[in-house]
Amino acid sequence: MKKTLTVLLALAMFVGAAGLASAQAKKISIWCWDPNFNGYSMKEAAAVYNKAHPEVTIEIVDIPQGIEGKIEAGLMAGGAGLPDIALFQDFQIEKFITNYPGIFADLKAAGVDYSQFAGYKVGIMSEGKKVYGIPFDTGSTGLYLRSDFLKDAGLNPDSYRKNLTWNEVITLGKTVKAKTGKALIAYDNTDYQFLRMIIQSAGGQFFKPDGSLDLNTAATKAGLKVLKDMNDAGILYMSEGWNNWVSAFNNGDAAGMVSAVWLIGTIKSQPANAGKWMVVPTPSLVGVAGAQNASNWGGSSWYVFEKSKNKAIAIDFMKSVWASKDPAALGFYNTILKGAGAMGTYLPSRVGSNYTSKDEFFYKSQTVYADFSKWMEKVPALRYTANFNAMGTALTASIQKYLKGDLKTPEAVIADATEGYKQVSGN
Amino acid sequence: MNQKGSFAKYLNRMGWFFVAPALILFSVFMLYPILSSLYLVTRKWKGFTDSFIGLGNFVRMANDSLFWNALGNNFFLMLIQIPIMVFLALVLAVVLNQGIRRFRGAFRLMFFLPCVTSLVAYSILFRILLQTNGMANNIMLDLNLLSEPIGWLNDSFWAKMTIIIALTWRWTGYNMMFFLVGLQNIDSEIYEAAEVDGASKIYQFFRITLPLLVPVILFSIVTSTSGMLQLFDEPNILTNQGGPANATMTAALYIYRQAFVINSDFGYATALSYMIVILAGLFAWLQIRLLGGNKK
Repeated sequence: MKKTLTVLLALAMFVGAAGLASAQAKKISIWCWDPNFNGYSMKEAAAVYNKAHPEVTIEIVDIPQGIEGKIEAGLMAGGAGLPDIALFQDFQIEKFITNYPGIFADLKAAGVDYSQFAGYKVGIMSEGKKVYGIPFDTGSTGLYLRSDFLKDAGLNPDSYRKNLTWNEVITLGKTVKAKTGKALIAYDNTDYQFLRMIIQSAGGQFFKPDGSLDLNTAATKAGLKVLKDMNDAGILYMSEGWNNWVSAFNNGDAAGMVSAVWLIGTIKSQPANAGKWMVVPTPSLVGVAGAQNASNWGGSSWYVFEKSKNKAIAIDFMKSVWASKDPAALGFYNTILKGAGAMGTYLPSRVGSNYTSKDEFFYKSQTVYADFSKWMEKVPALRYTANFNAMGTALTASIQKYLKGDLKTPEAVIADATEGYKQVSGN
Repeated sequence: MNQKGSFAKYLNRMGWFFVAPALILFSVFMLYPILSSLYLVTRKWKGFTDSFIGLGNFVRMANDSLFWNALGNNFFLMLIQIPIMVFLALVLAVVLNQGIRRFRGAFRLMFFLPCVTSLVAYSILFRILLQTNGMANNIMLDLNLLSEPIGWLNDSFWAKMTIIIALTWRWTGYNMMFFLVGLQNIDSEIYEAAEVDGASKIYQFFRITLPLLVPVILFSIVTSTSGMLQLFDEPNILTNQGGPANATMTAALYIYRQAFVINSDFGYATALSYMIVILAGLFAWLQIRLLGGNKK
């Protein structure tokens, strides 16, 4: 009995020592969620870093679903099982900074120069004098249109390559529907992003500066009206969930959609559509002061955990590849733009050749990246707060009722969503 | 005497030694969480931020119409789906037990397979089949059974039906297995005696088979009910987080979303799960009282 115990103890010590040894090996792990996009970008970044630091192993883990929930579970368990670096959606991050104080490493103190990043990305990751993340991509949006369907409808695609208003889009949609039977815009009925993009383009906010909800704004009302008009005109192609939405425009069931620059990779996965797509600026909301022909969808940033055992290496990696004017680092930004359509927000990187080059996949070889990057400058900033998820949940349910006809007016939707928000958030 | 006492002591010690692993695991994974939930439930606990609010979480729960709506969905699904499933399972079991002689094993396997498929995989598959331009609608449109596609996932009524269909597909075979075992445990002599007395097959079914199967039916209803109260995967994946407009939101999904998706609100999620525990206990007790009476 005693002998067994001794053996077991010795074994335990050995395993413990082995664990310690592996912690000293230079290895960092990173969590993200799309192997063709952010995972790909990180892999390219790792390759750049490994040229100068071959001794560091960088492990990139793909968490396709529920990454936030997984991180929260890890945080509640005192950091067990968490990686050194993780990618967070911009709209999610304030929830983590507010509810989990102190979990991220302060990278400003570590010497990152944040004046070189797009300002709207840095604001949301700042808390007092501390700045936590390394901004990744932009979600600059545009209206994607199939030029061939426009031609089928007897229209000249070139006359739509300009700043449009939503009313002009509705007229266009009616023509396309009447002539070709196709709905103009693929719409995901399980999400509120389409409406949110419209509202953001007009400079609308969902929260007051003090963090309390305010849906009763001119931009929200006008956005809801336009959404209903589009639905009544039959120009929305209803789909349920992401995959269904993607197949709607990739298979040509719908003639277009509003989405961000990061969707380019998804569109290119359908080579048969080469030469057909064109992207025009996000349509603007007429009658709302400050309305722009630009908006944003998504975008995410990298964060280093304060408790990470390899914090120093992780920070050094992020600094020397993602926030450096070193030619190799700038070349990396140029590579991921071409390779995955990942448009970084590190401003000095925008000189890369791929930013200005023509893209054969698009109608008349449009310089899509130059266009998206130009529109990015005009994107009105959005206030997220820690309760953005609760707002989104409530608004999604209310606009589903609205498009079904259970709620009749924008005012009714706003009242319903405000009530829903109270229930969900407990505020 | 003395000898015997020390042997009893030894037995006692060995007994404790053998139950120790179970006891330790139980304390760590059951007792501790239950005790710590008593603490959690009195706090406004969001992530690492934490303050005492007494019964505040329960007050919030009382006013949370979304939660009550979700619980209502649980009961709606329960009241419709469980009777359909139990009836179907019973019919299948009887048919497989008496009607079909050939390929019995193959049929059993066929009906049982759905419940061992992955929850996520089958939910995604059903979603693809049932989307507006999916196979189910297309076939029915082609056969002129429908004039316009059904919004299986878009319409609040049909979304509930979707969940019912999916659950029935998945769990009927599972319950059928219990009924089959139950049927095989009924002594054939009883039927022979009934036959001699001139009882018809249908009379035999209602007077012999059904009463003798009551314990099995009870078991299947109790487990289905408690499973229904914890219904999570189907509304989360198949109907997109309880959509449309919370029409298929269930209590368990709402709890998960409060804790891990929307708010990081662990205190409130704990208060909500108390409600589920109380309800599940109440239901089990009720069913045993109601159906157990027949056994006399």
